[in-house]
Amino acid sequence: MISLHQARKVFGGRCAVEGLDLEVARGEIFGLLGHNGAGKSTAIGMMLGQVWPTSGAVRVGGYEVTTHRHQALRRVGAIFESPVFYDYLSGWANLEILSHYTAPTSQARLREVIDWVGLTGREKGKVRTYSHGMRARLALAQALLPQPELLILDEPSDGLDPEGIHEMRLTIIRLQRELGLTILLSSHLLNEVEQLCTRIAVLNRGRKVFEGTLAEAVRQKDWVRLRTSDFAAAAKVLAELGLITEHRDERLVAPAAGVGPDALVRALVAREFPIFEIAPEARTLENFYLELMKDKQP
Amino acid sequence: MTMFLFQLRNELWKLFGKKRTYIGFIMFLVAQNAILILLRFSHVPKQMARLLQMNGVMAGGNYISILTLGTMMVALIGLSLLPLYAALVGGDLVAKEAEDGSLRMILCRPISRLRLLMLKWLAGVLFAFTLVLSLGLFGLLFASFWFPWGGLFVWPPNFALFNATEGLHRYLFMSVFLLPKTVTIMTMGFMFSCCNMKPAAATILALSLMMISGILQQVPFFSDFQDWFISYHVDIWQSVLAARIPWWKVGQSLSILLGYNVTFLVIGTVMFHVRDIKS
Repeated sequence: MISLHQARKVFGGRCAVEGLDLEVARGEIFGLLGHNGAGKSTAIGMMLGQVWPTSGAVRVGGYEVTTHRHQALRRVGAIFESPVFYDYLSGWANLEILSHYTAPTSQARLREVIDWVGLTGREKGKVRTYSHGMRARLALAQALLPQPELLILDEPSDGLDPEGIHEMRLTIIRLQRELGLTILLSSHLLNEVEQLCTRIAVLNRGRKVFEGTLAEAVRQKDWVRLRTSDFAAAAKVLAELGLITEHRDERLVAPAAGVGPDALVRALVAREFPIFEIAPEARTLENFYLELMKDKQP
Repeated sequence: MTMFLFQLRNELWKLFGKKRTYIGFIMFLVAQNAILILLRFSHVPKQMARLLQMNGVMAGGNYISILTLGTMMVALIGLSLLPLYAALVGGDLVAKEAEDGSLRMILCRPISRLRLLMLKWLAGVLFAFTLVLSLGLFGLLFASFWFPWGGLFVWPPNFALFNATEGLHRYLFMSVFLLPKTVTIMTMGFMFSCCNMKPAAATILALSLMMISGILQQVPFFSDFQDWFISYHVDIWQSVLAARIPWWKVGQSLSILLGYNVTFLVIGTVMFHVRDIKS
């Protein structure tokens, strides 16, 4: 659905995106992660034909965005962080204005979408009277109007309260399940990405440093968390016995192949080490992300 | 075509839905009434009568009239406030949307940048038309509250007298030829608005260029070069108040203004097309 090949964007002398290859398949929820200024918004801008790539190819729905913008964006909806509307007009007028940039939209379709996002009864009110959550719903409505196949969400939960974030998350899941949309989600909220996305890409300083499934991201060497009276001494003993291959952080050991926690416990108890805790160390997306960022620091 | 009309209607909704769009109209009403009240209750009518007598028109004739005072008002506002509001709206058209962030919302839709600009520019032209129309109509209306119907008397650049029918024609001509001026200034503001700058900067740049042109045009040493100054050509509305309208000059200035407008649009379109739209 989205394909970037060696996409590069230079602003003045600064390279915002460097040699980015990205593939988002139809029907998946794809997460785009990265710190502020990592190049996420620039990449999204290139996908939407708002930012011209310096080099490389950007295709959406099989069409090159720079040369066939109309065909590429015909079935695309997008939401940006802190969505902006014409505050002095009603929600309905805003939807009508924005939808007409794509194609004629019937009143029935407008009503259907307003109903879908739960704004029925408030659509005639001026947008300046809307709460942040209502604006988020209006943003979703305008994105859904062209009956999109692809939805690009750039920080959709930005500025929402916890309830709003939860609601937005449920809506994204609903969109994918009920309407079968392909969704590209750019977010700072790792927890959100972890709960929603099937695949992710991580950008750092304009370069892609990881692309894969969430399972691949959190999969790691089977570290075991060990808490004992003297971790260094215990680790030394276990290493001498060939039960672990390495240890780190004064709390984690990596068992050798075929060695389970039970063998570690037996060996330590036999040498009178008290064991307060032993458990497999699960890696969260946050751990993975932070490690990735640390590794890539100059 | 239907789609284009829908989109144009939407641009007009956006333009006329904003309160700041009406600043110009409101200030016109205020300025027109202030000027009229000052004229009515000052010694200006007597001075005008004296000027008419000096030119052989006895007892002021019937020339201190709706048309004369209406023309004075339109002329004063056309020289001062009109360029300001034209530049303000032109400078706002694209830059304000870029500044607010709504341009990003629009440009994630499959509309070409050229089409979007043409829609906005046309909305600006319609605004200019409305502004000029209201200036002309309200000028006559408010003048009718204080002065009688009669002939038209104009001075400077040249002293000229017209009977009521001819005077009304000249008044209408003047209003019509204020439109190229308003559209040209609006388009200049629009051109700057297409670049990556704040709306206020676009407005100020357009006004500054007009003022620089006006200043240069006033320098006696440059009188041979006045054809090169845009301010000279936008003032064709003054030519239609001459005793004999120099149509060749009007046609020449209109052609040059057309060239200016096309140039501004092309530059604006190119600048807008190559720029990146970011938050």
